[in-house]
Amino acid sequence: MTFPSLQKMSLARREALAGYAFIVPWIIGFLVFTIGPMLASLYFSFTKYNIVDPPQWVGLANYERAFSGIWDAIRTGDPRQFQDPLFWKALQVTIYYASIALPLNIAFSFLLAVMLNQKMRGINIWRTIYFLPSIIAGVAVTILWVRILNPRVGVLNPFLKDVLGIQNPPGWLSDPEWAIPALVIMSLWSVGGSMIIYLAGLQGVPTDLYDAAKVDGANAWQRFWNVTFPMMTPVLFYNLVLGMVATFQYFTQVYVATSNSIGGLGGPQHSTLFYNIYLYQNAFRYFDMGYASTLAWILFVIILILTALIFRSSDAWVYYEGQLRGRV
Amino acid sequence: MKKNLFNVLTLLVLASVLLTACGGAAPATQAPAEKQKVTIFVGFGTGTDPDQVAAQEELAKKFNASHDNIEMEFLIVPNEEATERFLAMVSGDNAPQLVGPHGTSTIARFKEYWEDVTPYIERDNYDMSDFYGPATTINKYPDLDAGLPLGLYPSFLFYNKDAFDAAGLDYPTHDYADTSWNIDALKEMAIQLTLDTNDNTPADPDFDSSSIKQWGYADTWTDMRGQLTMFGAPDVGRPTTDDYKTATFNAPERVLGFQWLHDGIWKDHFIPDANGQAAIDSTGADPFGSGQIAIWYSHTWFMSEGLNELPFAFDIAPLFYNQDGERIARVHADLFTIPKDAKNKDAAWEVMKWLVAPEQIVEVCQIYGCLPARKSSEDAYRAFLQERYPTIDHAVIFEAINYLDNPHHEGWVPEWGKANDTLNNVMSILYSDPEADVPAVMDQGNEDLQKILDEYWAAQ
Repeated sequence: MTFPSLQKMSLARREALAGYAFIVPWIIGFLVFTIGPMLASLYFSFTKYNIVDPPQWVGLANYERAFSGIWDAIRTGDPRQFQDPLFWKALQVTIYYASIALPLNIAFSFLLAVMLNQKMRGINIWRTIYFLPSIIAGVAVTILWVRILNPRVGVLNPFLKDVLGIQNPPGWLSDPEWAIPALVIMSLWSVGGSMIIYLAGLQGVPTDLYDAAKVDGANAWQRFWNVTFPMMTPVLFYNLVLGMVATFQYFTQVYVATSNSIGGLGGPQHSTLFYNIYLYQNAFRYFDMGYASTLAWILFVIILILTALIFRSSDAWVYYEGQLRGRV
Repeated sequence: MKKNLFNVLTLLVLASVLLTACGGAAPATQAPAEKQKVTIFVGFGTGTDPDQVAAQEELAKKFNASHDNIEMEFLIVPNEEATERFLAMVSGDNAPQLVGPHGTSTIARFKEYWEDVTPYIERDNYDMSDFYGPATTINKYPDLDAGLPLGLYPSFLFYNKDAFDAAGLDYPTHDYADTSWNIDALKEMAIQLTLDTNDNTPADPDFDSSSIKQWGYADTWTDMRGQLTMFGAPDVGRPTTDDYKTATFNAPERVLGFQWLHDGIWKDHFIPDANGQAAIDSTGADPFGSGQIAIWYSHTWFMSEGLNELPFAFDIAPLFYNQDGERIARVHADLFTIPKDAKNKDAAWEVMKWLVAPEQIVEVCQIYGCLPARKSSEDAYRAFLQERYPTIDHAVIFEAINYLDNPHHEGWVPEWGKANDTLNNVMSILYSDPEADVPAVMDQGNEDLQKILDEYWAAQ
């Protein structure tokens, strides 16, 4: 069977048609499973909706609930003045975690990549060792770390006490002060993914740049700072954006680590009440799908703004080889 | 030619569509009526262990063999996925016909999701007189009777006889009338049962609280409301007044109870703190089965999962009296419920009746570990207990029903999930903060709860 109408088309048009045909399944999936639910959740964010009863339009009430009381809280310094103090607590916990975990993860994975980029015997074995933890599922890693961090039976505190001489090691996940640092330590376990990306980037830095720097008399540090680092900034930028989005959507680890703990999800004392945990609670524990949708959209806007800021700042610190800057 | 072929094909398609549409309206041959399907959603409570799954399948076979018009099937969902799966089914207009067995907490949490069975009870003039009184009231609200009672789970103390023998202590009394068995006696006993790795008790000057290997007492498989119920506040297990408008979480009895628990954890060390509980959890066993808790307070549902092949001798004893000489032993009550949005509700009601009928209730309760809610089934259940747990004092179980908590510790309050999470956050202070100012903590918890109640009522 032939398709005369197709035969009449130009090659470019046919290629375009074929391209569209190939991406149609993805487009349909994207519209149905991403854009559709997003638009639905945008609508729900203006409603009171508990799944059983039809959504009731409440206008901006859900957004007002999240933000009202902000001036009183700032004026008095009392977080209880917020209409929904847990929204702000969740935001604070998330930002606190992101501000520690994100730089540490970037620095640690970059450092590892630099070390694993050296020419030495058995380097592939070391690369495998450091990459392996990142392919283990998050739930398994979390269960492992909950055990490691347990102050009574875990291996970390005896090490801190007996080897490092710290007499009162922290209670980690059961101590509100140390729960976030504990989760940060857990997150460092899985830096292998970004490390591999840095490693690939490092291996793409042209060697002639190092040769030229050596000829100019640059020492190892100067070569790193003036050649390696600038050449790696696009990769750093990439990992920063992805890392920021991931940290603001942090969920699985804290869900596994705290859902069966005393005080429940987000405990102890709300010290691990991450934004997505609070969103989940509103949706699936309090059945307040309207407010949960509002929280989702607020998070979306926060991430959007932060991403835009990172992109805007990139002009100042990200170097693209061959890119022309300023007036010619 | 091509045009003719197209016309013929179009006519064929139209004809087939018309024939199909008309076919539905034509009188069919005498086909047997289609069975109404009743899917029982299991996952909110007990019922997901492999043995239970197999037993439930047998139960479904038994029902289906004796019913021509209804087909019963069990949908087993892991507990951690149950909420999401259930909500997805409801929102997808595919609600299961029955949910259960589940208890007061799930019924309260999803209160507006359940069908009130009062009209069914009245329509069938259903005889409720055979059920234990509490079983018919615990899950009943002015606007909702959630279902026919299936079983009760009274609570009592499980004790490790080997631990008592090693400490040279007499076992706790089994006599419910012995009022000397109170919180002070329990505390004294539990201190002597608490051991560090050098076998020192908290009464010994060399006791090391950082290396406890056995705690005297624990009641940690319940939430904040549950743990404070035994101390007998005026609203017992409900942290509000009876109109649900005023928070009473900081009632003096609860403050005293909280202080008693706090002292037991941080001062007398006979109750495990958060780290201790995490350490016990990490053994993979339940607290009592781990051998690290000498006296464990729980319910009959714990028996089916916690009393299997224990490496030590054990028995059960009544809960102790509280500071006011009152005994309040929590009870759980399970039943099956019909979601409001379910199809085939009449069939679901028939299945519910069958499950709790005198002919089945003992068998069903054996699957789920509950005490049958029918008084007429007591002898049959005693026989089962004698066969399954020959070494424990069964009288303790039945007498515990007389001391249940009312209002119930899992009963409905406005914004049930949020209110309980707020109080459970207070519980995390209990188990993680040795320096906590107990009255201040309770006042703050009460204030937070009051805010939730105020917002709820303002929105009504």
